[in-house]
Amino acid sequence: MFRLFISGRATRVLTSSSTRNRMSSKSRSKRKPDQFDFVDKGANDSDSSESEESVYSGLEEEPDTSEEDQEQSSDQSDNDSSDNDDDDDDVTLDDKSGLELSTEQRKELSTASDDELNEINDQRYTGNVKSQNRKQRKQITVKTADRPDEYDYDSSDEEDIRNTVGNIPLEWYREYPHIGYDIEGNRLLKPEKGDQLDEFLNKMDNPNYWRTVTNKMTGQNVVLSKEDLGLIQNLQSSKHPDSMAENYQPWIDFFTHEKMIHPVTNHPQHKRSFIPSKWEKLKVGQMVHALKMGWMKPTKAKTEEEEEENFYMLWKEDEESEITRRYRAHLPAPKMPLPSHAESYNPPPEYLLTKEEEEKWQNMEPEERRMNFLPQKYSSLRLVPAYKRFINERFERCLDLYLCPRKPKIRMNINPEDLIPKLPKPRDLQPFPTAQAIVYRGHSDIVRTISVDPTGQWLVSGSDDGSVRFWEVSTGRCMKSITMETGSLGNMCIRSVAWNPHPDVSLVAIAMGQTVILVNPGLGDKMVTNNTDNVLHSFSPTEEESMGKKVYADWSSIDTSDKRFENGFRLLLQHPKEVSQVTWHGRGDYFASVMPKGDSMSVLIHQLSRRRSQNPFNKSKGMVQCVLFHPVRPFLFVATQRYVRVYNLLKQELSKKLMTNCKWVSSMAVHSGGDNIIIGSYDCRLSWFDLDVSTKPYQTLRHHKRAVRAVNYHRKYPLFASASDDGTVIVCHGMVYNDLLKNPLIVPVKILKGHAISHDLGVLDCVFHPSQPWVFSCGADTTIRLFT
Amino acid sequence: MADENTPHVQAKFFTKQSQYSIPDTPYSVPAAVGTSELSSLINQILKGSDDSVDAGIEFDFLLDGEFLRVPLDKHLENRGVSSEDIVEIEFVERQPAPKPEDSLLHDDWVSCLQGCKECILSGSYDNTVRIWTTTGAPLLTIPGHSAPVKCVKWLSGDGGPTCRFISGSHDQTILIWEWHREENSVECVHACRGHAGSVDCIAINEERDKFVSGSWDKMLKLWSAAAVAEGDQEEQLEAPTKKQKISKKVQTRVPVLTLSGHTEGISAAEWLSRSEVCTASWDHTLRLWDMEKATQTSQMQGTKVFLDMSYSLLNRQIVTASADRHLRLWDPRTTDGAIVKCTYTSHNGWVSSVSWSPVNQYLFISGSYDTVMKLWDTRSPKAPLYNMSGHEEKILAVDWSIPSLLLSGAADNHLKVFQYNDEKHGT
Repeated sequence: MFRLFISGRATRVLTSSSTRNRMSSKSRSKRKPDQFDFVDKGANDSDSSESEESVYSGLEEEPDTSEEDQEQSSDQSDNDSSDNDDDDDDVTLDDKSGLELSTEQRKELSTASDDELNEINDQRYTGNVKSQNRKQRKQITVKTADRPDEYDYDSSDEEDIRNTVGNIPLEWYREYPHIGYDIEGNRLLKPEKGDQLDEFLNKMDNPNYWRTVTNKMTGQNVVLSKEDLGLIQNLQSSKHPDSMAENYQPWIDFFTHEKMIHPVTNHPQHKRSFIPSKWEKLKVGQMVHALKMGWMKPTKAKTEEEEEENFYMLWKEDEESEITRRYRAHLPAPKMPLPSHAESYNPPPEYLLTKEEEEKWQNMEPEERRMNFLPQKYSSLRLVPAYKRFINERFERCLDLYLCPRKPKIRMNINPEDLIPKLPKPRDLQPFPTAQAIVYRGHSDIVRTISVDPTGQWLVSGSDDGSVRFWEVSTGRCMKSITMETGSLGNMCIRSVAWNPHPDVSLVAIAMGQTVILVNPGLGDKMVTNNTDNVLHSFSPTEEESMGKKVYADWSSIDTSDKRFENGFRLLLQHPKEVSQVTWHGRGDYFASVMPKGDSMSVLIHQLSRRRSQNPFNKSKGMVQCVLFHPVRPFLFVATQRYVRVYNLLKQELSKKLMTNCKWVSSMAVHSGGDNIIIGSYDCRLSWFDLDVSTKPYQTLRHHKRAVRAVNYHRKYPLFASASDDGTVIVCHGMVYNDLLKNPLIVPVKILKGHAISHDLGVLDCVFHPSQPWVFSCGADTTIRLFT
Repeated sequence: MADENTPHVQAKFFTKQSQYSIPDTPYSVPAAVGTSELSSLINQILKGSDDSVDAGIEFDFLLDGEFLRVPLDKHLENRGVSSEDIVEIEFVERQPAPKPEDSLLHDDWVSCLQGCKECILSGSYDNTVRIWTTTGAPLLTIPGHSAPVKCVKWLSGDGGPTCRFISGSHDQTILIWEWHREENSVECVHACRGHAGSVDCIAINEERDKFVSGSWDKMLKLWSAAAVAEGDQEEQLEAPTKKQKISKKVQTRVPVLTLSGHTEGISAAEWLSRSEVCTASWDHTLRLWDMEKATQTSQMQGTKVFLDMSYSLLNRQIVTASADRHLRLWDPRTTDGAIVKCTYTSHNGWVSSVSWSPVNQYLFISGSYDTVMKLWDTRSPKAPLYNMSGHEEKILAVDWSIPSLLLSGAADNHLKVFQYNDEKHGT
């Protein structure tokens, strides 16, 4: 039976009796107050003579609407339809005619039906019907006033009517032209789908495109009505789907907060609520009796000690037993070697021993035997007898395992390169001299010694050719040359030159033979040179002092009339022995001279202002190589062949003795801080001493291949240099930190080559520029070189 | 023209020299093309457009302000420029090579020199100052100093019967001389005393009424260069009546201003403007001084000893010569710290002196202890334009005061004169 009900709020279309009957309580209960209104234009195009569009709306009703309504409405419809006989049969008239509805029509209906939103269970089905009927329209108007009857239509099952394939994935029909089967078993053909262009055109042209969806079950396009959209929006915004539903109903406060004077219920209290329990009384009596009789004892209260025992060791391993530890550190026994071919019951013949071998085996001590058994051959395994030594061997094996202690051998893998201390890259330690800049040429023999004036403008050099030359540092120009006269002086070699470090004194001490000559070079500030001359000239010896004491060195001043005065000669100090070195004290008043062969007089300290010489040491401690003044404190460093002694000049005592660990000290330099000295030795070594730390070398560098001739510190930059007979000057970065805990950082940074080796002599002296990171070196090739 | 398979580069040529302008169309040139091929290409283009231009002009090519010195593809690769794009190449006529013209023999090392019009002033280590004509004829040898002369500068040398010049020396004095051109006689008019070290540099301001001197004693002193100035005293020290008759009165002049600040000797000084002086020193700094306020205004820290400095009025930049083979270009107008705009490296020894071109803002010359004088273009930092060898010893001074002459004085007692023809490039 098919019926059609159209009403304003509720429309039921095409309800078959079977479906109606089938309408289960589940579907009914599932029904929600939803409302749908499907509009399909296209479906009407075929025969839309009057009704240009058919409107169907599914309506929710409460499930409990009465049966009467349904009947009433059906009656009405029956009546209506009977009234309109001229109407065609397409609208349901009675059950039978409805059943006979042509398949075409049904198909049309089903195809035209709009039914989307499968996910919503209680979606209403509203079909499209060819409804040209005026009466029907009339009926609509009638129906709008009516209360709908929800049993007249079916809800969820109705949608399945058109496609009877059931609840199966629709992809299964993807490859077929049809989408399923209708109730008659006829194929439901898939509607024709346009290509993407059509889709696009549709998108552009159709104003309802955005709310058109496809019914998967039928493949039809469905335009969602305003109500549908509202429903979807409500669902999306988590609201009640029905916009009409009342979410906020008035609240009836049943249990009020107000105190009522009367009880809610008025039952009288039960008797048992105020009479003590007799059963409990009996039970208590029993327990009291048991206590009295001593059958039952009260539980003891826990003492504090017991409670304390609740604590447990968090780290149990601390008192791990010996056994568990042994298990944890289990060392597996070494495996026995696998049996060889000789142990086979049927060994290859080459494993069998010959007679002689067997005899020999027998004669050997059991410990010396290579094998502790005799290989034997049996034709088959059956013939192999029991092994007699089995117990013996097991026992020996057990002895081995038991008596040989096993211990894990810890092997350290040390990369030898990791042991080398990480030194910074030389590039990061700039500035330091890197390239030869100027060569000072002019000497005709070995240049033994050089010295720079305190301003860094001039350089003085002494050579074996008996000349002392003064150079302009910046250009390499020889400004002045003093040639020593031969004669009484004999040896003309200039052994040492030293520029007075005081900026207000212009004097150079020159050691030549047995004399020390003080020369005023006349370079630099004229005021200073004149002052120096004046001071020297105005000296008047105080007789008393010089009378009482032994004269160690003979002072003599040069008259202005003397020819040598023009050359700058100012004072001569005649020494008893050959002088090898002169060195100035930092303030420029004292200077020391070294006579290696002078025995007890090998070191003399001269005072310029009083023209007096002192011998600080009574005894000779060895052949003195060089002496140096401490830059700030009254100390004197005296280097003999193997030791460096540090004397306190004020207290006149030995304060330190440094072991150089080398065979023959050649040179020495003191850091400007005074706490570090370096020693160069003829056995190619350079040793750095940290006086605060030890009397032994802090570090020994063996970079030179031949004897180290001179070492020097830079006054400002953390640099030191060593000159050697191998023709090189090695510049090292030697950073001394103010932090006493930090050791000096010593990094070799540059090997400066340039000097040629002649007479087996290379570089004989090296001096740093006082203010720039430059180093001067002089060598046996008669040149002086400046490296910058 | 070339093989089809060789890679080509689209290049567009332009020039600022209007006589050589060519149409603004890109040309496809082989990528491995060098300067000479490009030069001939430009010549061909010029020939095609205009017959009056004679071919065979040598051109130099600039890409982004840098000279093309290697084949084009290498240059592009080094600069990270894609060879797919159209390369814009500026071309300028190649600087003509300087020609050695003369060599003036001194008795001793030539420590300083300056040219002016047709005269060359040179100071020497034999304590004398010499005046030469630009043609090489010795005009005068002036003994006056008692120590090697370290710097000479013309005070007024253009025209006029009397020229004045200044010389500073190791003897700590600066002498102002008057040279009567007609009589070819010279007299010392002023002796400026005050320095306590060798006077290493002198700089005269544009008005020519003041000059500054820098010395090894770390002081910068400002002196009056006027003929008569306040505080002039007659030389009394060693000039008794007898000497006065022989030589005219020598007046002692004292410094107007003494500025201290440098921690080492001052090696070069230049006036930047009416009141601003820049000094270069051995303490690795360039300092700017305001002479009116008598204060130091700013300081630029270098890393090496500065041996010389030159300031160009044309591009307002300073080029310094250092004791580390490099020339550095500075802009004194920048305020934030020491910014070396460019480093020019080609010398093998200390660069002892440097001098800007007086007419071309791109060119300067430098003399080094490696005995070579080099002509540089600021746009070619890697290689100089020309090397001028000839000296056998350290070059101590170079000068480009006369636009057409490059002068160099060296420790081989020679003063070399190079002719440089730069008329076409006058700016």
